[in-house]
Amino acid sequence: MADVLIALALLLVAATATAAVAVRDPARQALVLSVLGLTLTLLFTVLQAPDVALSQLAVGSALTPLLILLSVRKARRRSLDQVRAEKEAEEGGT
Amino acid sequence: MNAWLVAAAVLMVAGLGPVLWCVATGPLRRRVAAQNTGTLLVCLVLLLLARGYARPPYTDVALVVALLGPVGTLVYARLLGPEMGDDPQQGPLTKAFAVLATAAVVLPLCVAEGPGRSLVKLLLIGAILVGGNVISSQALAGARPKEADDHG
Amino acid sequence: MNRRLRMWVLLLGLAGTAAVLAAAAFRLPAFGTDFHPYGDRAVREALARQTANTVAAVNFDQRAFDTLGEETILFAAVLGTVVLLRQARDERHVEPAPADVAAPVRRYALVLLPVTLVAGLYIVAHGQLTPGGGFQGGVVAATALHLLYIAVDYRALERIRPLGVFEVGDAAGEAAYLVIGVAGLLAGSSYLANTILPHGTFNTLSSGGTVPLLNAAIGMEVACAVVVLLARFLDQAVEIEGEGENAGGNAGEGERK
Repeated sequence: MADVLIALALLLVAATATAAVAVRDPARQALVLSVLGLTLTLLFTVLQAPDVALSQLAVGSALTPLLILLSVRKARRRSLDQVRAEKEAEEGGT
Repeated sequence: MNAWLVAAAVLMVAGLGPVLWCVATGPLRRRVAAQNTGTLLVCLVLLLLARGYARPPYTDVALVVALLGPVGTLVYARLLGPEMGDDPQQGPLTKAFAVLATAAVVLPLCVAEGPGRSLVKLLLIGAILVGGNVISSQALAGARPKEADDHG
Repeated sequence: MNRRLRMWVLLLGLAGTAAVLAAAAFRLPAFGTDFHPYGDRAVREALARQTANTVAAVNFDQRAFDTLGEETILFAAVLGTVVLLRQARDERHVEPAPADVAAPVRRYALVLLPVTLVAGLYIVAHGQLTPGGGFQGGVVAATALHLLYIAVDYRALERIRPLGVFEVGDAAGEAAYLVIGVAGLLAGSSYLANTILPHGTFNTLSSGGTVPLLNAAIGMEVACAVVVLLARFLDQAVEIEGEGENAGGNAGEGERK
């Protein structure tokens, strides 16, 4: 009967991982990734590996979102400014 | 498979299914709110699993979710706040759900536990969970587009 | 070596790995039976050294050398990030602006910070007894500090985060692990052998010999490494501006360099 729990957790992980791939915007992807971390925590716990579950949780719940969002912010700012600079150059040229 | 594990399985599917749907679709504010509810549900499922497997040390995992889950939501509220701007606010229902769901799971666990140090730990996890969830909902509601500059 | 030759070498390596893996897979015990040769031995050894958490016994006693490798990977990864994300010559330093965070959120974070920090230390200290250990606890403790950035602002975090101290702590944690290993050699047995300390009483804090010490070393290394890693990311996202990168209205205001 314990297999039912493992099967449910596996299905949840598979569904969440698929959703993480299907969502395209990196910031929104980070959100699905957090939920994927949570479902993985459940999977590891029902597989009786709480040490691994804790590792996943410690890294996945706050650290990974922070790293991803900070990188997204830096990258976006850079590309926004490039667009702005190109536009200005174009306007100046015409 | 005892009643606790059945409860955990039901909460896992009935709770995390909709959470997954909401986190992958819809306006950004609702997605973050769904992620917040997801941490709450996973914490409750972990508490039920610890009881169901009769392994008290597993509650440590639930403690870490209760502590770090809201931190994750605060990260999103802080860094995605500008993007959420005009998204519709979440009603009071999400907060009420957090309180009720936690009470519905933690109180039976407390009754089954009986007095002792584990009971204190359970109540502490419940309190951190509800407090964190309500506060992060509040942070989410307060996220405004005016923080749109970047050097914060 | 031309491209073709390299592909052949790669193929040879892959074929060898596949052959060895397949051979090993056929000798595995059947799935789902009561026969667990490795598990039985690991548990026996863990109990012999009074370590209640068998996973910790495997990680920090029976296969402590593997963990040294993993720790070194993290150390090297953080070192690489520090080098890559340093402030380049064509980048400017901008003073971070204070952030506007709701008062209840700020209060909650300031209450939660010490609680999370203690929880992290608790997980490190109980590594030999319950799930968790140096890595998990270290990450939790390091995350706790960053509540200051999330709920107050970056300047508050910078005030309590002397980066130099954390960089030294990172190296000291790594060094402590190596030194504990050498202590095993000096005591007359092998590197990282769990023989230098009494094994203590089963299921109490003082049990497991060197396991709690190694956990503490890892905890320190991981906590400091995460702080240093996030500091580089935060600097890049908040304080450092590249060429032609003009963020909002306050650019150029606080030019320091």
